[in-house]
Amino acid sequence: MISLSSYLLISFFLFLCGILVIIARKNIIAILLGIELLLNSAALNFVAYSRYTAQNLDGHIFALFIIVIAAAEAAVGLAIVIRFFQIKESIHIDDASQLQS
Amino acid sequence: MFVKFLFLISTLLTLAGAIGVVAVKNIMHACVFLLASLIGVAGLYVTLGADFVSAVQLVVYVGGVVILMIFAVMLTGGDKADFFNKFGFEKVSAMGNKKTYLVGSAVLIVFTLSVGKIIFNIIDLKSSKDPQSYVSTVEQLGHLLLTDHVLAFEASSVVLLGALIGAAIIARPNRGVK
Amino acid sequence: MDYTVTSVAPIILLPFLAFVINSFIVKKFTKVAIVISCGAIFTSFLFALRIFKNFVFDVYSSGYHVHKVFNWFDLSYDKIPFKVDMGIYIDNMTAVMLLMVTGVATLIHIFSTFYMQHDARYGRFFVYMSLFTSAMLGLVLSDNLLSVFIFWELMGFCSYSLIGFYYEKEGAGNASLKAFMTTRVGDVFFLLGILALWSVVGSVRFVDIYSAIASGAFSNHFVLGIPLATFAAFCVFMGTIGKSAQFPLQVWLPDAMFGPTPCSALIHAATMVAAGVYLSLRMEPLMQLGNLKVFIAYVGAITAFGAATIALIQTDIKAVLAYSTISQLGYMVLGIGVDAYNASFMHLITHAVFKACLFLAAGSVIHSLHDHHTDSHVQEMPRMGGLRKKLPFTFIAMMFCTLAIAGIPFFSGFVSKDRILGEALIKAFHSKVYIIPMLLGFAAAFLTAFYMFRMMFLTFFGEPRDKDLHHHVHEEHISWNQNIPLLILSVFTLGVFYSGSLTGQGEVKIFSKRYEWFATLIEKPHLENFKDYERQPFGFSDQKSKKVFEQSIYDPTHGLEEEEAHHAHQTHVFGAILSIIIAFSGVGLAYLTYIAKKIDPRMWTSRFSNWNEALENKYYMDWFYIEVLIKKVLLPFNNLVSFFDMGIFDRYAVDGMEKVNKTLFTGAKWFDNLVIDTSMVDGTGASVKLMNVILRTIQSGKIQFYFIVIVLVLASYIWTLNIH
Repeated sequence: MISLSSYLLISFFLFLCGILVIIARKNIIAILLGIELLLNSAALNFVAYSRYTAQNLDGHIFALFIIVIAAAEAAVGLAIVIRFFQIKESIHIDDASQLQS
Repeated sequence: MFVKFLFLISTLLTLAGAIGVVAVKNIMHACVFLLASLIGVAGLYVTLGADFVSAVQLVVYVGGVVILMIFAVMLTGGDKADFFNKFGFEKVSAMGNKKTYLVGSAVLIVFTLSVGKIIFNIIDLKSSKDPQSYVSTVEQLGHLLLTDHVLAFEASSVVLLGALIGAAIIARPNRGVK
Repeated sequence: MDYTVTSVAPIILLPFLAFVINSFIVKKFTKVAIVISCGAIFTSFLFALRIFKNFVFDVYSSGYHVHKVFNWFDLSYDKIPFKVDMGIYIDNMTAVMLLMVTGVATLIHIFSTFYMQHDARYGRFFVYMSLFTSAMLGLVLSDNLLSVFIFWELMGFCSYSLIGFYYEKEGAGNASLKAFMTTRVGDVFFLLGILALWSVVGSVRFVDIYSAIASGAFSNHFVLGIPLATFAAFCVFMGTIGKSAQFPLQVWLPDAMFGPTPCSALIHAATMVAAGVYLSLRMEPLMQLGNLKVFIAYVGAITAFGAATIALIQTDIKAVLAYSTISQLGYMVLGIGVDAYNASFMHLITHAVFKACLFLAAGSVIHSLHDHHTDSHVQEMPRMGGLRKKLPFTFIAMMFCTLAIAGIPFFSGFVSKDRILGEALIKAFHSKVYIIPMLLGFAAAFLTAFYMFRMMFLTFFGEPRDKDLHHHVHEEHISWNQNIPLLILSVFTLGVFYSGSLTGQGEVKIFSKRYEWFATLIEKPHLENFKDYERQPFGFSDQKSKKVFEQSIYDPTHGLEEEEAHHAHQTHVFGAILSIIIAFSGVGLAYLTYIAKKIDPRMWTSRFSNWNEALENKYYMDWFYIEVLIKKVLLPFNNLVSFFDMGIFDRYAVDGMEKVNKTLFTGAKWFDNLVIDTSMVDGTGASVKLMNVILRTIQSGKIQFYFIVIVLVLASYIWTLNIH
């Protein structure tokens, strides 16, 4: 059968990809994509553990809430990005390095 | 059997999507690859017997968040041009160049080493636990949400409200008196 | 009040005060300065007169003395005493000397107001004169050899300044330096003598030395095999040789004539050169103890004779007087050598009076002979002649003095010189060794009479040799500052003031019974009086109050036995007759040569041309000193020493130090630049830059950078996690 470790590996791989995206990409929205990947890997991890180790549904609950929060955060984040674009005319992360413009 | 097959496809989808998000130059393509990746994750949830979570993932994440990203891309004109930074000494492409990937890889290696130290000790691909039967988790989740985790439930509703209002205010077209 | 303060202190202090005040105001208020100077010395004369009266008229005792010691500085520490005292010691000799010095100095000051009146540095002359008189008076009054030495050197300095007074004259600077250096040679020995005395006696006070001699402290002390007393006596006498221009250090006195004539009168006739003789007189017991009397007699005799011979051919009027001074000083020293203490001192006094008068008169003559062509005053006798009518008063004064110096009876010079020669005769009869000094003494008396009258005849008699010069001489009138001092001095050249008798022997009761006052009062220090003197080391103050002294009575036998006294008296009479004959023959020869023109001096000079040449070169002494001694001995030695100093020591020590310093400096500079500047100074800047860079990167605002940091920190946490 499918072991827990494989799920862990998958979530680990997703996590790494998420980190790489965040670091390597300069587009703000691409960074948000990377954040999504991170969150997903975490949620997958939770659910996998809840099935194999805990044998209850706490992991599921947590995964649900992760999804909820991710959605809210994506909404607000994108609102910020749009606002940023309206001011700076750019969505490059390096242009967002000053606190006060 | 079906589970294994599903697991394999989902894994492939997830990983390919992740790699795609990392590697592609076009932001739209990256969003689509994320989409694929999230669909794969949803399939993985299914193999884990988390049917409700998988459904919510598909509805909210795939159908909401990524679409939202695509909207944002459309709105900021990212699909058309490859942005460069306006300030700074050198022009860095918005999609990253070799240097950034290098830095990222270095960080990755460091991270892998540290986490791997733990993970690779406990990885045991051969052992397989006694797989449980697949039952529907909806009813139980509902029950749990309103009894054990009602605080998180209510709080998340507040969060969503805040996010809603916040997003609306931040992205308002014209600012009034500041 | 204390005798010292009321009578003695003003004598020194007034001229010194005059010096101090004058040195400040002489430029602006010249006349006031001169009045101060003359007034000070005149006041000193009045005080000296008072002391003289006290000593000679009130207390007529040969043992009477006033001795006051006061502390100069006290550096004692705990049990080690070191107090240096100065003191005043006045006895009859001092009283007479004071009177002479102040009297002559006053008259010279007054004369100087006439002589120097047209000089550009009129006032400065009086500044120096005041300093000089205060130094001389200090020397006369001092009670220890140290203060004698101090005033001695001070007078040497004044002499140096005054000889070089006309510093625009070509030879004046050299002459002043020569005077200073030559007396310096004597002074070095003098100091050595003082130290030698200190080592034995423990003190340099006269009274302490006398008591040490009396108590025999000098026996069994030897220096280089010589008895210490002889060594000390010789060294002290060298001081006299230097200062009083005896052979071989007499070379400075003729050159000292570069100075103004009043200075020559005061310093080089009356006082400074007499100071040397005064020192020897004070130290006479030491000379006696050191058996130096024969040596002293020879030195004096050689000086007297040698100088007299050189004076024969001099043409400058001041030069004649200079050599005559040397010759008479030789007489004084001869007097010390033949045990004629009293006569020597009397000759000192009488010589001071008439020599000062002679110099002043010469000054008057020179001043009146003004050569209009060269705008200078003439000193050369070949250009003079027949000034008797033009300068009558000067002539009278000079005549008196010349008679005195030639040894004509009834004049003071005869009295003193005859006594010396008489004593020399006595000594010569006693021991063969004194024959030569005696003969030289008489020969010098003959020569003295000759050349002094030669000078008189050439200057004042005969036809004027330079008619133009003679024509411009102004007729002399009695004036308070030109003539009166001369005449006053010439009065004191009469013999009656010093001794009543013709021969200076026997007491002549003419007016009162105190006529032989000089011979009675001035005696050798009676050592037995000092034998019990509590010798105190140089450091304790001593206050001697006036004891009761018994009056002295004239002793015709001079303390000798009947037989010896008669013998001495006869010898004295014989000597007196002999010196009278010699004096008149000298005068006669001069008369024959220069007035009657019977003998031609040119014949003598051509016959004895070698002698003539020797005389003109002053017996080649100057040549010897300059060419041989200085150039051939001292200069190479000086070069050798300076080679060591400059060549070796300077090169290695000083330049070596310079090189070491340079190396150290370069090393330090390199170290400073390389290490310190680079590491610390630049390093500080670099570290700030580094911090700057770090902070810049940390707080860059780049979100991705923050994320990297987060990941890395997270990795570090996980790394340190401990599972299982």
